[in-house]
Amino acid sequence: MKIAYYPGCVAQESGKELDMATRWVCRTLGIELVEFPNFSCCGSGFVDEANEVLNIAINARNLAIAERAGLDMLTICSTCQGMLTLAKVRMQDPKVKGRVEGALKPLGIEYKGTVKVKHLLRVLTEDIGLPAIKAKVRRPLHGMKVGAFYGCHLLRPADEMESESAEEPHAFEDLLDAVGATPVDYRGRVMCCGFPIQFVKPTMASAIAGRQILDAKSHGADAMATPCPLCHLSLDAYQNKAAKEVRAPLDMPVFHLPQVVGLALGASPEELGLSRHLVPTDAALAKVRSSAPA
Amino acid sequence: METDTISASFDVYRYRPGKDAAPHYQRYTLDLTPHTPVLTALLKIRAEVDPSLALRYSCRSAICGSCAMQINSKSRLACETHIGPEMERHGRVVVEPMRNQPVLRDLVVDQTPFWKEYDRIEPSLKLDPRRPMPEGKPTKMSPAEVDRFKETPRCIACAACYSACPAVEADPGFPGPMALSKLYRFVVDPRDTAHQDRLLRIQPNGLWLCLRCHLCTEACPKDVRPSERIRDLKEMAIAVQGGTELGSRHAIGFKENLKGAGQLNEMKLVRATSGLTGMLGQIGQGIRVWRKKPEIMKRPRTIEGMDEITKIYAALDPPPKEEP
Repeated sequence: MKIAYYPGCVAQESGKELDMATRWVCRTLGIELVEFPNFSCCGSGFVDEANEVLNIAINARNLAIAERAGLDMLTICSTCQGMLTLAKVRMQDPKVKGRVEGALKPLGIEYKGTVKVKHLLRVLTEDIGLPAIKAKVRRPLHGMKVGAFYGCHLLRPADEMESESAEEPHAFEDLLDAVGATPVDYRGRVMCCGFPIQFVKPTMASAIAGRQILDAKSHGADAMATPCPLCHLSLDAYQNKAAKEVRAPLDMPVFHLPQVVGLALGASPEELGLSRHLVPTDAALAKVRSSAPA
Repeated sequence: METDTISASFDVYRYRPGKDAAPHYQRYTLDLTPHTPVLTALLKIRAEVDPSLALRYSCRSAICGSCAMQINSKSRLACETHIGPEMERHGRVVVEPMRNQPVLRDLVVDQTPFWKEYDRIEPSLKLDPRRPMPEGKPTKMSPAEVDRFKETPRCIACAACYSACPAVEADPGFPGPMALSKLYRFVVDPRDTAHQDRLLRIQPNGLWLCLRCHLCTEACPKDVRPSERIRDLKEMAIAVQGGTELGSRHAIGFKENLKGAGQLNEMKLVRATSGLTGMLGQIGQGIRVWRKKPEIMKRPRTIEGMDEITKIYAALDPPPKEEP
């Protein structure tokens, strides 16, 4: 399949390993990524707070770029997914549409609203399908217990995000199961990572992240995995601060979604950029049993 | 008409503070039809199995807002949550009291913190003393003015949103979704004269601590969509007062940031929000992250078609005034 690749800012900067892993997995599964150097940032929810109509307009522009090429969009970030989808929803309001078109039309940008915005999780589970992924697994992750961590904007508001469920999703767990890992059920998996207030009240953001990591840990997770690079920053890059806030050692490796899939499909840790994580992933990798169980 | 019954298991939170050493869960199993509301099941348990079970309820019709509780970890009204889907998904129905409020007994919580936050936003019209409401006459509002309230008048103050809110959980000083959506309701009320003052006073008290996780919007049985109203308050606060708080500075800083390259410049954003002194405080963490992810110091490439972004900003920032 062919799809417009919307990597988002973080995967091109501090979360480069997410971009590496996405490209590796897509290449292996026959997903052709079409790149558009004119995509802009989605505003990450912050531009939406400062100026809603501006945020809709810059994302309508992004959507129109894929639309012109006749392609659906692939996101690899829960927040990008949320902001692009939100723009689509808000553009159904004729008043909003009128104001946004007033800014886009003079630039020759036409927005029709025909593009589907799909997160990688959805492309893997719905378009590629779990049987096809299973068939390509070379190193099943048997023995590794993984707590999926969804990221709010992939799920909520469920009516607007067209998500499978606001609080009880299972696509990520199904995917983990398909690559041989053991999904861990815990309440924190659909909760917030704290990232949006990392700059407003860092101690509170870290306390929230720490709570979710502790929750995964107390349910037996050897690692966590997330479809959102902002959650990844909160859970991995700032995990030392989270540990301080919850006054407990955490030592929780946190994978990006395509890294978990890539590992099972046979990618090396180098190809997936695992050395770029703040919390080493070795302990989780050591859990993978070398031989498949009977 | 006969309807098939299912054997439904309820694990109900039981706790008498001061009497029980610790909370425990009691299992009740009943044969019920799948469309039985959780509240009906709990009342049946109390009437036929265990009269000592304490719960709060009244109308049984999703109007009074008394029976909010946690059902399989979701904050919901017990009277409108059916057992069928819960049994299907979880194989049991775990019933617990609401979160973020102390337990009085079993499923009954002390709602004082919730109502205290409601009182704190001063939930009554502040009128201009020079222009009192005409005695005995209605004050007219246009349909457009009424529309601005959005869904907020539907709120039944059940506190399901307060229970679901992770910001309240982490910082009990956060007003919570219900108080903030009520505040919104007064800030857009054309009869109220304290709009600016209300926005000014709520900001340091936690407006910017909302995580926009939208758990409140999912918990709300009346589709008030508190998270969206909190977003509206943030934009109004910025429009009126600019970047007076770290949160508003960050939102404005992010918006301005994209004017540079169309992509986020991470370092520049940290500086815009925290200032140079704030950055110094984060230097240790910055170096830790930079050693693994050196790109945080890199300037992003400028996107193609940057002129389009510039023109979109010119047209829509600040947003043009809405026609009445």
